[in-house]
Amino acid sequence: MKAFGTYISKYLLSFFAFALILLLVNILAFALTFGGIVSREYGSTSPANMLEAVAADLSASGISEETEQELNRNQIWAMLLDAGGRCIWEVSLPEEIPTQYTIQDVAVFSKGYLQDYPVFVRNMDNGLLVLGYPKDSFMKLTGNYFPIRAIRLFPLFVTGILAIDILLLFLVYYFSKRKISKNTDPIMASIKTLSTGKPVDLSIRGELSEIADSVNQASQVLSRQNQARANWISGVSHDIRTPLSMIMGYAQRIAGDHGASGNIQQEAEIIRAQSAKIKDLVQDLNLVSQLEYEMQPLHKEPVRLSKLLRSCAADLLNAGIGEKHSIEVEISPEAETAVIECDARLISRAIGNLVQNSINHNPQGCNIILSLDCSSEDVSITVADNGVGMSAEKLRELEEKPHYMESTDERLDLRHGLGLLLVWQIVEAHGGIMKIVNGTCCGIKIVLIFTRKSLIYSNPGN
Amino acid sequence: MDNSFLYSKKLLLVDDKPELLKMVTAILMDEGFQRLVTAANMKEGFAAAKAEQPDLVILDVCLPDGDGFSLMRQIREWSDVPVIFLTARDEAADKLAGLGLGADDYIAKPFLPQEFLLRVYAVLRRCYKGDVAVLKLDSCTVDFSRAEVDKGGEILPLTAMEHRLLETLAKNEGRIVTVDTLCEALWGDNPFGYENSLNAHVRRIREKIEADPSKPVSLLTVKGLGYKLLARK
Repeated sequence: MKAFGTYISKYLLSFFAFALILLLVNILAFALTFGGIVSREYGSTSPANMLEAVAADLSASGISEETEQELNRNQIWAMLLDAGGRCIWEVSLPEEIPTQYTIQDVAVFSKGYLQDYPVFVRNMDNGLLVLGYPKDSFMKLTGNYFPIRAIRLFPLFVTGILAIDILLLFLVYYFSKRKISKNTDPIMASIKTLSTGKPVDLSIRGELSEIADSVNQASQVLSRQNQARANWISGVSHDIRTPLSMIMGYAQRIAGDHGASGNIQQEAEIIRAQSAKIKDLVQDLNLVSQLEYEMQPLHKEPVRLSKLLRSCAADLLNAGIGEKHSIEVEISPEAETAVIECDARLISRAIGNLVQNSINHNPQGCNIILSLDCSSEDVSITVADNGVGMSAEKLRELEEKPHYMESTDERLDLRHGLGLLLVWQIVEAHGGIMKIVNGTCCGIKIVLIFTRKSLIYSNPGN
Repeated sequence: MDNSFLYSKKLLLVDDKPELLKMVTAILMDEGFQRLVTAANMKEGFAAAKAEQPDLVILDVCLPDGDGFSLMRQIREWSDVPVIFLTARDEAADKLAGLGLGADDYIAKPFLPQEFLLRVYAVLRRCYKGDVAVLKLDSCTVDFSRAEVDKGGEILPLTAMEHRLLETLAKNEGRIVTVDTLCEALWGDNPFGYENSLNAHVRRIREKIEADPSKPVSLLTVKGLGYKLLARK
């Protein structure tokens, strides 16, 4: 509604300018039409002018030829009544017009019509001059009197009416604008949501419903495409699993077969190790796409992180990480009881991926430390190693790299992408953040920070 | 740990891919399992489960004539045989459905043969632990059925707590068991603040099973994580 306020103030001036122009146009139109006829009719042959001319021309012998012709040309008749009401002089008097009038007759016709002829009178020294104009040429207001107060207040009335008109116009303008903005605001919001790739569901009635339908359709198309993409990835990863199991199984059998030559055993071991990499990739890819398109419901439950971290470390050690690498767990006393609402499977996966990353990047061996800390603001899980680390340049590149699902760069490489991307997505799905920093002396440190909001229990005193 | 007592168990494998059945059979045979039965679909699987009375069923979720979940439900109507799902789907919902039905484990393809074997052993040991009465350690023998330790002829009785603790470690022989898992095994759900009691129990067990309790070789501490029990090589 704030935007609408500025909108209104921005257009208020132009609105009033419009109202003013409207008023001027009205006045002009009135002057050109009604006013034009009136002024034309009020020309030289207007009753006032004619009365003046006749009165000036009138003498004991009547009027001049010229004036009489002028009267005839305009179909005007004239007569002069003396004090007794008798017609003592006339020009073109129609037959139906009487020649004798009482004082009542004079009082009545002087205000209006005589036998439907609009008549106009002028007081003369020698009587009353009466001009009769053709029938239906003038309309006379017979009741032409108004209270003086009304006349005096007339300008005020006109101004008031104009003010009310402008106010009403403004209200109509305001409400129609508001209605449009009320309908367009959700559309704007939806389009904004849509631009981030998330589905929307708009419900708007009225003239904008078509736009809402289009937005909904676009959203459905987007959802369907996302669903299709996720299904496709899921399908491929599903179909690849069984063959991969067999490659891994047989490679391991050959690697352990003492009947085979040393060379063959070594090569089988390479096949096994490489298929294990494909296995991780397949699993990560599926989960990444599921998380990306929000197909994977999070099974959130209260989880004690210290327990989860220990069990992750134990699982990794039990699975065997090789002799060159070691894993240690450091849990601060404050963090021991920290419980957060999360999907334990996904958090374990994130930690596992980070540890695997450290192992992969340090084939010469390194020590990996998993630590858990709890501050007044947040809970953080840190996976740090003392290996080769990463150059500042590489680190920046990693941070600035576009999200590969949204990247259209064909040169895209996932050499260090998918594992970390999955961690990043898992953390984000839990409303947390991931930080990559260079270790204090060497190696790399990745911190997963979860806000206190997700923290449901901790006992800092313990 | 000595797994030889498990090799006499009869395993039923149900999967519609003959190549995979062949490979899994080979892996299990290499390991020493002798009694393996295979089936390619739900119907065969059900018939085999009824006729052969296996000790463990390894089931694929996707079968040509139905899904593994319903086959498991059918088998469960008359048998409590342990079931492991082996599947190409790793969606969390599927996993929960499988475990929710009472499956003993859920292995997602692709799997490493060692991982597969470890899981099979773990389920078999858990379900047939009555069979393993004796665990040979470096300097003694533990008899779980009698709750006794035989240390060079000297018979030392185990308390109920020590028995349960040692048994939990024995089921995961050679693997790290976290303090959380041990505390849960001893004191039930959400144990907290029992670490000191756990240490005390471990100390007493070491006095019974180790030649030199201050330099343990069988029950090892894994700093910050938990403990590990090693059987005699």
